[in-house]
Amino acid sequence: MPTISFSLEDLQNLVGEKISIDKLKELLSYGKAELENYDKDTDEVTVSCDDTNLPYLWSVEGIARLLKGLLGKEKGIPKLEVFKESKHELIVGKSVSKVRPYIAAFIARGKKVDDNSIKMMIDLQEKFCESYGRRRKKVAIGVYNYKKIKFPVTYKATDPESIKFIPLDFKKEMTQAEILEEHPKGKEYAWILEGSDKYPILVDNKDNVLSFPPIINSVYSGKIEIGDEDLFFEATGEDLDAVLLAANIFAQAFYERGFNIYAVDVKYEDKKITSPYMFNESIKISGSQIKNLTGLELKEEEIKRLLGRMRFDYKAGKVMIPDYRRDIMHPVDIIEDVAIAYGYDNIKPEPVTVYTPGQPMEINKFIDKAREILMGLSYQEIMSPILSNKSILYENMNIKDMENRRFSEPSEAKASSGFGTIEIKEPMSETYSVVRTWLLPILMEVLSKNKHTDYPQKIFEEGIVTVRKGDDVKDYHRVALLSAHKDADFTEAKQALDLLMRLLGFKYEVVEVEHDSFIPGRVGRVVVDGMKVGFIGEIAPSVLKNWDLDVSVVGFEVNLTELFEKIK
Amino acid sequence: MDIKKLIDTLHPLERKVLPILGRVLDFNKIVEETGLKDVEVMRALQWLQNKGVVKLKDELKEVVELGKNGKRYIEQGLPEKRFLKEIEEEPKDADSIKEKASLSKEEFGVCMGVLKKNSAILIDKKDGKLIFTITPTGKKFLERTDEEDFLKKLPIELKTLKETMVFEGLRKRKDILKVQLLKIKKIEITELGKKAVKEKITDKEVVDRLTADMLKTGEWKGKKFRRYDVEINVPEIYGGKKQHYRRFLEEVREKFLELGFTECDGPIVESDFYNMDALYMPQFHSARDIHDAYYIKEPKYCKLDEKLVKKVKEAHENGYRTGSKGWGYKFDIKKTHMNLLRTHDTSISARTLSSKKLKIPGKYFQISRCFRPDVIDASHNVDFNQVGGFVIGEDLNLKHLFGLLAMFAKEFAGTDEYKIVPGYFPFTEPSAELIAKHPDLGWIELAGSGMFRPEMVKPLVGKVVPVVAWGVGIDRLAMFKLGLKDIRQLFSHDLKFLRNVKVV
Repeated sequence: MPTISFSLEDLQNLVGEKISIDKLKELLSYGKAELENYDKDTDEVTVSCDDTNLPYLWSVEGIARLLKGLLGKEKGIPKLEVFKESKHELIVGKSVSKVRPYIAAFIARGKKVDDNSIKMMIDLQEKFCESYGRRRKKVAIGVYNYKKIKFPVTYKATDPESIKFIPLDFKKEMTQAEILEEHPKGKEYAWILEGSDKYPILVDNKDNVLSFPPIINSVYSGKIEIGDEDLFFEATGEDLDAVLLAANIFAQAFYERGFNIYAVDVKYEDKKITSPYMFNESIKISGSQIKNLTGLELKEEEIKRLLGRMRFDYKAGKVMIPDYRRDIMHPVDIIEDVAIAYGYDNIKPEPVTVYTPGQPMEINKFIDKAREILMGLSYQEIMSPILSNKSILYENMNIKDMENRRFSEPSEAKASSGFGTIEIKEPMSETYSVVRTWLLPILMEVLSKNKHTDYPQKIFEEGIVTVRKGDDVKDYHRVALLSAHKDADFTEAKQALDLLMRLLGFKYEVVEVEHDSFIPGRVGRVVVDGMKVGFIGEIAPSVLKNWDLDVSVVGFEVNLTELFEKIK
Repeated sequence: MDIKKLIDTLHPLERKVLPILGRVLDFNKIVEETGLKDVEVMRALQWLQNKGVVKLKDELKEVVELGKNGKRYIEQGLPEKRFLKEIEEEPKDADSIKEKASLSKEEFGVCMGVLKKNSAILIDKKDGKLIFTITPTGKKFLERTDEEDFLKKLPIELKTLKETMVFEGLRKRKDILKVQLLKIKKIEITELGKKAVKEKITDKEVVDRLTADMLKTGEWKGKKFRRYDVEINVPEIYGGKKQHYRRFLEEVREKFLELGFTECDGPIVESDFYNMDALYMPQFHSARDIHDAYYIKEPKYCKLDEKLVKKVKEAHENGYRTGSKGWGYKFDIKKTHMNLLRTHDTSISARTLSSKKLKIPGKYFQISRCFRPDVIDASHNVDFNQVGGFVIGEDLNLKHLFGLLAMFAKEFAGTDEYKIVPGYFPFTEPSAELIAKHPDLGWIELAGSGMFRPEMVKPLVGKVVPVVAWGVGIDRLAMFKLGLKDIRQLFSHDLKFLRNVKVV
């Protein structure tokens, strides 16, 4: 979500009227933006823009444009005058087609660069390239001192070792290959050019290097200072639409700052595209579409007025879209702006009257019964994060990864089917690096964190565990229970299991098995109708030691999803 | 309390202990005289303390006890004494002393050191063997030694200098002594207690527990029941109870069921498809970076309904005949099959919309665990719950969305004061945010909402139908309702907290 800042005074000058902070707050919501902060001492306003598809709003000029429409100072598509001079040519070599094929450009003249315009250039460029430009991959932008450039300018790709120039922030001449290795910007953005054997370069008619897109400008013409008067702008990228949009948005902003805009003819091998580019996009909407989506019945005049506020032109069912916008895909995008301009506050809520009976998930009803029974036995319910780690789930329980599956999974499941744990590819921390596969270890962790709390400690957790079976993944609802106190024994656990199964209406057996988390001879598999649905036992002393516990612990874990499927 | 009444409230154990407190205040002596068990005396004293009759103070004392070897030496005699006994009559060599006095190599070494230091023996060499002879000092050693006296007195607290010196000597030797820190109860009798002991106290005249026999025989008639101190503090007990956060989520669930919503769920391990692509979020969207979702190692890809994938692909590429131009980029089929942990509950809405069970009109909701990489602190968790859902119906429009939001403000924040402002979600247009004035939290962002985009609805449902969708930020409300300051307490593992947190 891009955040921009500017001085309130600058905004007021651009809008041509005083605006209070409260008013600004309200008006920003029309552009899905929020006032984050206003610093009275520096007069700095900070605004965050929620909609990542509206880069034309990411500068004080964009905000001013929105406000002028809302305040009625202007209406419809904002004006943009473009001059043409035939000498402003940019020739695109075929060599860039494989690495970074598109470029758009324009020239802004006739006004001295000041603090505010420098700030706009830097901020808008950064936000646009990082967010909308996908960290410069889709679009990167350069601004130059026009007076140093001899037209026509050429955009081509060359051998990384063949040309040397001094990049910004450095004092020595470097090849493009050296820049990628040594220059901070080179290191940061080298990934974009990975796999290319030729790198893009922008040179003027005297072979002066202007820049190495999308990495860095040259010192020769690439540093803009306060007082500079004439500017050359270019945007390169892999998406023609996006570079043209970048040129349009910047041209509009420079124009509104008082610069004269001159077009540049960009000559590709097979076509010529002049930028700023007039997309001349339009979309049809009708009153009935607006009514269906918003419930608002609006006369055509009203629609036109509302669209004008939001900086669209409207004529006979057709909405003309300003050239700095490419985000309109469907009439719903326009209709939302109509509704916003109408004012959400003015739209009368209507109750949803459609009658539908509420339906709980059947399994949740079943789960709640199981929980109720265990709470009736004085067990405290626990709710834990689903993410866990292998030392909790396996190492501390003395078992290898997923060995516990034998006691918890359906009997038809074979060991060869590749049971496994869901592991996160890039975990932020080891603590939360896998999805839990069983619950008892989570409860053991609870006990180990509460060594100094009163015993007996009786706890249970019902929740989801997730296991991988070959190429499939399955979630199960399971319930686990532990009782910890000096006299805890197998009988106690089995009585609890027995009560649970009896009250839920299941006939079950407990069959002796081996399981390294439990004491041999005191652990059993819970079987219902021949299906293994869980296990029960006394936790092995070595496991207790792993958890630093010095009290006897007994418990069980059963698969509620599988039990539920039996009675469904 | 009046003394007579006080006497009436005494428990049989107290009745045994109290009368002797006038002269005996040593715990062990009380045990001895009353013939009660330690715990019984302790209990009686605690009760008496509660009644203000005595004051108990814990004193920590270092007590010296016999160790493993110490116990053995008391029976067999100290090794050095056994050593000396062997040579009392005549000098002997090392091996025969060791064997006859049954000394281990280690013990023998210690003896030699101790005895030589005290000039109790003389050592000579003869035929390559060490010969030991007892000295006159050594003979005195055969009588009672300080060490033996000391061991016999144990357990004691060190009091005299002599004891301390002997202790220091013995302590260096293996397992003879054990030093333990003991809590010792010091008993003081209060003024009330001094009056009470003068009363006549027997354990005959009052009924303590009412038994089945008494009821049968009527023996209780005319007897006095021991008075209880009904004001007394009793030990805390902990019942089984619902986890606090789960209770809250259950209430939310109940609310939606009452409002006629049908409950849905979906898998934790989701595909890029349902988590994002089916929601018309472009594959190049900035929120789709690897660092914004937990992708999983294996299985990397999942199986999907390829017909449905094709429709969604078309929606992204060209709008799928919805009147939209689409995002206009080449949709990556392989990427859409990638597995990740769902980042939001809208994946479930997408599944419900494409399910055969979908009914139009219909109302659906889900409460689901979602996962997002984040740095965990008091207000961020990587593992959290979302509550969301949608209403689908041919005649629904933005006004109904607003109506639903108004209801949420009332149901979840308990307020009629709310604002609906434009919002942005990649899958809704129009979008709206609900900001409600919570009576205690002030203005809070309560829900995000909107009408699902036609490019999302048509591939999933098969046609364009209005869908009003929303998600409520539930964790913040849960924290407020439960009075928590730290989001991690929603999944607390602190048993004290879990046992004591209020049921609200």
